[in-house]
Amino acid sequence: MRSNTITAPIRQLFLLLTGFVVVIALLESDGLASWANHLDIGPLRTVAVPATVALEKTLAPLGIANLRGDTLLNLARVGWSDDPALLAAAGPLPALTPDLPRVSAPAGSPKPTTPTAPHSSFPHAAGSEAPLLSDLPHTTTLTPLPPIQPGKPRVVALAGDSMMAVGLSATLMRQAATDKNLRIVKAFKSGTGLARPEVFNWMDEYPAMLGTEQPDVVLVAIGANDGQGFVVDGKVLPYGSDGWRKVYQDRLASYLAMVSAGGARVVWVGLPPMRAPSYDEKIAAINRIAYSVVSQQPQATFWNPVTLIGDDQGRFHEFTTLPNGQTMRMRATDGIHLSDEGAGLLTNVLLKWLDPPSPAPANQPHRAQPRRRTPLQPPPAPTSHPPSSSGAYTGRFPADLRPNLHRNHPTPQRRLRLAPRLQSRPHLAPGLVPTQQLLPRSLIAPPVQSLQ
Amino acid sequence: MLFPTVEYALFFLTVLAIAWSLYRLPRLHNAFLLLASYVFYGFWNWTYLPLLIGISVFSGLVAQRIQRSPSPLARKRWLIAGVVVCLATLSFYKYTAFLLTTLLDIWGRFAPPPHIPVYSPLLPLGISFFVFHAISLMGDCYRNKVKQPVTLADALLYVAFFPQLIAGPILRASRFLPQLAIRRDPDHLRINRAFLLIVGGLFKKVIISNMLATRLVEPVFAVPQSYGSLDTLLAVYGYAAQIYCDFSGYTDIAIGCALLLGYRFPRNFNAPYTATDPQAFWRRWHISLSTWLRDYLYFPLGGSRKGSLRTYVNLMITMLLGGLWHGAGWTFVVWGGLQGTYLVTHRLWARIAWAPLVQLRQTAAWRWVSRLLLFHAVCVGWVFFRASSFENAFQVFGRLAVPAAASLATGPVLIVLFLGLAGQYMPPRWRNGFEVELSRWPALARGAALAAAITAIEVLGPTGVAPFIYFQF
Repeated sequence: MRSNTITAPIRQLFLLLTGFVVVIALLESDGLASWANHLDIGPLRTVAVPATVALEKTLAPLGIANLRGDTLLNLARVGWSDDPALLAAAGPLPALTPDLPRVSAPAGSPKPTTPTAPHSSFPHAAGSEAPLLSDLPHTTTLTPLPPIQPGKPRVVALAGDSMMAVGLSATLMRQAATDKNLRIVKAFKSGTGLARPEVFNWMDEYPAMLGTEQPDVVLVAIGANDGQGFVVDGKVLPYGSDGWRKVYQDRLASYLAMVSAGGARVVWVGLPPMRAPSYDEKIAAINRIAYSVVSQQPQATFWNPVTLIGDDQGRFHEFTTLPNGQTMRMRATDGIHLSDEGAGLLTNVLLKWLDPPSPAPANQPHRAQPRRRTPLQPPPAPTSHPPSSSGAYTGRFPADLRPNLHRNHPTPQRRLRLAPRLQSRPHLAPGLVPTQQLLPRSLIAPPVQSLQ
Repeated sequence: MLFPTVEYALFFLTVLAIAWSLYRLPRLHNAFLLLASYVFYGFWNWTYLPLLIGISVFSGLVAQRIQRSPSPLARKRWLIAGVVVCLATLSFYKYTAFLLTTLLDIWGRFAPPPHIPVYSPLLPLGISFFVFHAISLMGDCYRNKVKQPVTLADALLYVAFFPQLIAGPILRASRFLPQLAIRRDPDHLRINRAFLLIVGGLFKKVIISNMLATRLVEPVFAVPQSYGSLDTLLAVYGYAAQIYCDFSGYTDIAIGCALLLGYRFPRNFNAPYTATDPQAFWRRWHISLSTWLRDYLYFPLGGSRKGSLRTYVNLMITMLLGGLWHGAGWTFVVWGGLQGTYLVTHRLWARIAWAPLVQLRQTAAWRWVSRLLLFHAVCVGWVFFRASSFENAFQVFGRLAVPAAASLATGPVLIVLFLGLAGQYMPPRWRNGFEVELSRWPALARGAALAAAITAIEVLGPTGVAPFIYFQF
């Protein structure tokens, strides 16, 4: 008899699920709309956005969505949240979180006098007016920074997505941990980008991440998640389309204007070559846009890391052999991010520019420089490792593995030149790769830890 | 597809509804679950779907051959061939670069190494788990633990069943295949237990694990030099809580989802930090892996039947390989070596039969001392497990000796750290009592309570969902 009817446990299960669906729709209507809005451009989003927006509008008169928003703000007020933008919106923190110094700002460090301006004060940066440049630079020249004043460390902000968060930031912070001349400010977040401000709006978040800090230098590595389409004014702009390029270029220009506000020098670290060929093409296109915009900004410099990270042809290069015969992993196992050792190739050069060794008078012993730890401990470099005849430092691999070992040698202030080791470069076609393919979802998820 | 996402919720609700609509038709029901499992896997990255299907088909065919072979020698040969192919596949994806770089480094110490381009294939999601399932299928057939004839359809679903596909628990073919052979029985549905497991798992993952990771563990392990002893100690404890909540949270959700579909998965964690000795710890931590290693590695090596010395050697081999299973790196090998050393040391210690010591071991005070000692020994292992390199691990240990105030010990961090560690001392009767209490509520009210609990978790959790730690294994 029971075989023809719905059994009691199944009826219970379906009733329970009904109750669940109804209440979750009531409580999370705005959360669901936000989720749909965050989806990649595709069929799921096409269905989910109108459905969840309709649900949100229908339930709006009940005022439950406001309750959720208020709860989030109250949680931020008592210190539960660490989302900088939410914290800024919630106001001062009482109670749960003690007044502790920021990791990036040691106690006693001078407070900047000029707080970072909110993004709305930035003029509109029309990046799309810049011509799209086809060839990335082989050689990058960084003009020397002003000398560091005693007791006033140089404030360096690390900005970007997981390309900064994984490998690069940790390596740089470890190397600079004992350097009193540098103060590092963390302004990066994995799983973000410039293509989708509705998912993560850097124009709001960056000022909140900086707080009262005013960086002298900003190192940027961003764009790994930007190979995807987006919606502007209800119109879908597929990745690679002309409209997409113009909007993305504008967003990138606005971001650059924001991070360089207050006179900060910006080094835009280009994205390295990637393992997956289709993804590598997208990244190359994003690099070209970034270079086109960055080259318009006198305070900013685009640094193409392929000279250090890629192989002789400028292609993806996962492992390399050190002069001592050891094999070194340069890239994380995902074929996207830098390994700590790979990041060390870049940070060694950057640190030498950020805090150059002081020239010692000829008749005095060399001033001891704070020793930074590097992820690599290669054999001592020959002392003949010279600056180039033009007076520029040739940051060429494998010599770049060793700069920290030279820090006690007097080196005059000079323009730091990051020269290539490319013998030949593959032809980089101008413009974007016209493809509809979306970035794999796995690239957007922030990693918990370095993959092994 | 990650468990704590809207995508998974929509997927699971759909699968649940259709699966119970088909429960009277077991073959169709199983075929539907297989299809759903492939959608679940392919949603993340479909590239490796053929590999998953290939391993499943291969192990199913080998299992059939083993069952049908009358000769013990032929059965053994089929088993060896099957295991070799499975392990070779796992090794290719997981250990190629590790083995090559190790070899070249050793070579480079004596002579200029040859120029061999080192290649590291992209690791297919969940490969360590589905390969172990495939081996379990063949191993259980070899030992005659699978009574019914294995069909290809059963083998496919056993290896790919979506709740356990990505990060376990590692099911035994001998226990799961019989479940596939019978019709689902709605009268055995434990809805309340399943929902408590899912809500508890989400709480552990989304709130405790994610908050500890982002606000305590990651900052300290990224730049240990920036933190003093208190922060470092908290970060080490924090990682112990994080990895427990992350992994046990995942398996709780997996067990809960399987339970709602009418399948029983084995328990995978049982308050591991309450253990008083290493042997007990491994009976409580990742139980499905430790029993797998015991049955398919430790016992075949001889277990404890060949004398004390051989027992210790077998323990060390098992734990070293267990460490390597977790990741292709020397830090994981050291972690496994430490676990083996703990097990051997404990066995030696337990053999001391001096009367006062025996009496001391039986006291409650000594049990607490043992618990604390073991917890800290486990934490030492976790530092190697979490660190990106030996240098990083020793930096963390070094900072434990540098006195400084705690800058990361905020209220929320301390609360979730306490919950993550002390929660293991929660008496099981509380959960059982709550389950009984829930059963008295009307179904609609229970659904509403579930929705409210999930909303609270979503609001309290940090933004964004980090992948589960064990996904990488």
